[in-house]
Amino acid sequence: MPLTRRDLVRAAAVAGTVTAAGGLQVTGASTAAAATPPSTTWVVPLLERFTYGATPASIAAAKALGTPTDWLNQQLAPAKLADPEGDAVRALYPEARWDVPTTRSRIQEFSWTSMFALGQATIGQAAWSRRQLYEVMVDFWSNHLNVTNPSDGVWDNRADYDRRVIRRYALGRFSDMLVASATHPAMLRYLNQAESTKSAPNENYARELLELHTVGVRSGYTEEHVRAASRLLTGWTVNDSGAAVYEPSRHWTGPVRILGFSHANGSADGRAAMTAYLRYLAMHPSTARRIARKLAIRFVSDSPPAALVDSLAKLYLANGSDVRPLLRRIALGSEWKAGHKYKTPYEDVLSTVRVLGIKLLPSTKSAAQRRKGLESLYWTLDGLSMPPFAWGLPDGYPDVVAGWQGADLVLRRWNTHQSLAAAWWPSRSQLTIPSSRSLLPTRLPTTYGGLVDALSVRLLHHRLGTAARGALLAFMGGSATSPLRTDSEWLRWRLPYLVALVLDTPAFQERR
Amino acid sequence: MTDRHGCEECRGTTRRGFLRGTAALGLTGLATATLGTRLAFATTPAYGGDVLVVLSLRGGFDGLSAVVPGGDADYYSARPTIGIPQASLLPLDRTWGLNSALSPLLPLWQSGALGAVVAVGQPVPTRSHFRDTEAMERAAPSSTLRTGWLDRALGLRPSGNVFQAVQLGTTAGQQWAGPFRELSMESVDEFDLHAAGGDDPEWAASELRRWRGALTRLYKTAPAPLASPAATALSALATSRSLKAQGYTPSPLAGYDDSSELARALRDVARLVKAKVGLQVATVDFGDWDMHSGLGRAGSGWMHDKLTELGKALAAFATDLGPELANVTVVTLSEFGRRVHENDSAGVDHGHGNTVLVLGGGVEGGRVHGSWPGLSREALDDGDVAGTTDYRTVLAEVLARRCGQTSLSTVFPGLPSGALGVVRTR
Repeated sequence: MPLTRRDLVRAAAVAGTVTAAGGLQVTGASTAAAATPPSTTWVVPLLERFTYGATPASIAAAKALGTPTDWLNQQLAPAKLADPEGDAVRALYPEARWDVPTTRSRIQEFSWTSMFALGQATIGQAAWSRRQLYEVMVDFWSNHLNVTNPSDGVWDNRADYDRRVIRRYALGRFSDMLVASATHPAMLRYLNQAESTKSAPNENYARELLELHTVGVRSGYTEEHVRAASRLLTGWTVNDSGAAVYEPSRHWTGPVRILGFSHANGSADGRAAMTAYLRYLAMHPSTARRIARKLAIRFVSDSPPAALVDSLAKLYLANGSDVRPLLRRIALGSEWKAGHKYKTPYEDVLSTVRVLGIKLLPSTKSAAQRRKGLESLYWTLDGLSMPPFAWGLPDGYPDVVAGWQGADLVLRRWNTHQSLAAAWWPSRSQLTIPSSRSLLPTRLPTTYGGLVDALSVRLLHHRLGTAARGALLAFMGGSATSPLRTDSEWLRWRLPYLVALVLDTPAFQERR
Repeated sequence: MTDRHGCEECRGTTRRGFLRGTAALGLTGLATATLGTRLAFATTPAYGGDVLVVLSLRGGFDGLSAVVPGGDADYYSARPTIGIPQASLLPLDRTWGLNSALSPLLPLWQSGALGAVVAVGQPVPTRSHFRDTEAMERAAPSSTLRTGWLDRALGLRPSGNVFQAVQLGTTAGQQWAGPFRELSMESVDEFDLHAAGGDDPEWAASELRRWRGALTRLYKTAPAPLASPAATALSALATSRSLKAQGYTPSPLAGYDDSSELARALRDVARLVKAKVGLQVATVDFGDWDMHSGLGRAGSGWMHDKLTELGKALAAFATDLGPELANVTVVTLSEFGRRVHENDSAGVDHGHGNTVLVLGGGVEGGRVHGSWPGLSREALDDGDVAGTTDYRTVLAEVLARRCGQTSLSTVFPGLPSGALGVVRTR
């Protein structure tokens, strides 16, 4: 895997078929009216980088707003943004919002029902909600504080964790999210804190809290610090009703010192000491740098500029760990326009669904039928090793291209594009999948070149470079000027294959 | 790390199994093409070494529960709940006994094809899954090298065909980090391009040419992170299709458990070995060993189930290979062993020294290798089994003696020379 080929990557991208890396550059200006790109300004690059993919509707909405700042203001206040498509998904999956007692009273013990519903509702909201940046940040934090879904121990609380820990603070202060996660039954069970006692503390959560959730492994903590933290954190457990409870009898008392934090920890009720420790960790400069860097990796580049990370870390500390100023700084800055980001399989599938105009079945269909479509998308993502929140380890899915480079995965992406474009599976009895013909302008192209251009503008938002265009024409067995008759196989049974091939192009694999 | 990922009731039908079933219903026109019965592969530079199979037991394998120091009283005082009683062990020598969940491996131990190295450690243990995994797979401590040890090893060999190094399953470890192009396959049979399918083999073949041509052109000028895996995929397609068309029937005695992902992966490795596609290294993952709580007891529970699956799959693999086992060496690796003392949740936290299993025709098996420091309080390293043998020593010996690897100092920079005698020179 080419982990150390940044320079080569940049060079190849510049020399290759892609000219939109500059973000604000006008790309692929065309003389053919039918193939004029929908946007030549800030809209498409911003939407491609900060949402799950630009669509004709999201492009039009952003254009109507006017400026990147306007768009960002709207996205950072999601509650004020009407979201009928997201509402439809939420209405279909009430169990994805149930609290622990409700979940336990409605489903069979240890059933995976609620966990799968959460996964499907997450896909639906990511695909169709207008609150796109919010959904991206829900994904970001869910990976940062990963509680594998589905997994044992969270059958009754994972949806509640999503609602009360992740979604509640996804555009707020990390410090608050961290405290909420530490005392939530999902995290208590997932990292074994619920089983930890003062006589033989379980170190799992104490270690991952330092290594993954906050300061990071190179911040200078020692094995003794891990042990001290595991003692300090004792006391919380999960009772037979699935609720997080504090039991002073389980709490180890005595002074602790962890990095620069020290506390007498003299009371059997150690909650105040623990909260102080969590707030200390959340506001530690090493945590600020880690969160800053992870955010920059999400939106800017797999190896983001150090100066940007520095300025983000400063903003983080100056704003009490509020993530919104960091998102503003990133989106309104220029660094991301120079950086390359490649789609994870999750982003690949979601952007495919969005750009093909795939939707839920209409509300005239039964809830069960409409849910079937999202269930199938869940398994589609499972086939690409990336259903939401399902990474088995506590560090969350990789957010860099190096984590997703298997040859096998390339084939599975291509197969998925084909399957979705041709509505093989999921089928049209499960989802509303527009015909490939509906992706073409009303006035059909009259040449092979016109067809390739129309499809690439519709699906990639710009025309392909000469080499890629040539590859598609060769695939069709013609040239740019070959006449395209209305009864051509390329307008009929072969069209979904051509659509899939456009989605297979390297251009579609970049968020740009 | 995570609790057990999966559930009892879902074992039979895995999520992937479900997907396969559903996909098969939807994807018509994928019927296997019959392309003739013989495979012809491009001749590759002669490789006269063993196929090395690296089996990664991710999550922190508790070696003490597999090859058990039942003759050591300290073991039982440290593990009053989860210790494996002497009576249920398969005795190996005065100190050691095999967990009976690994009983399918006992004949291989007795025949000398299976051995173990105990108290194997890393130079700089951190007890972090992520850091220890990275350090183990890069295998270049106190160096700025960012590549993996297998990437360096393969990079030193004459370039072979695309099947020279194969990762079976979906996780590619950091052992492959670097410029060498390993081939990842979830499975041989699923490695296909569905768009270029069809019931008619001639049609499917001509469609595959059309697609390969277009995709090859598209990815020739793509950014390197995209171009490299695409090129690998495209160059392996024709062979994987031929293999699929030919089908595979394992040795009737092998008895692979089809419900086990590990067994399915090892069956594919055996298939590639026997098909002579030029395989030199295969990597397989078998994770979920992070048993902080509820490890279980002798005869039942999480550890018992995992060891049972491991033992059955390795035994089936060895049986399936038959005489080809002479040309294969399997090594298990895990980022760290576990604490010697159990915790209050009948589990064990992150530790250090661990056990490596080595299986193959050239193994000096039937015995426990390494220097056993014991489990007395003063022998422990911060509560853990001390690492008295550097894991790289085991790998270096296998590479040198079985795989004809040269330039070991490039593969494992800074590794002092030293022999263990775990394998014989080929």
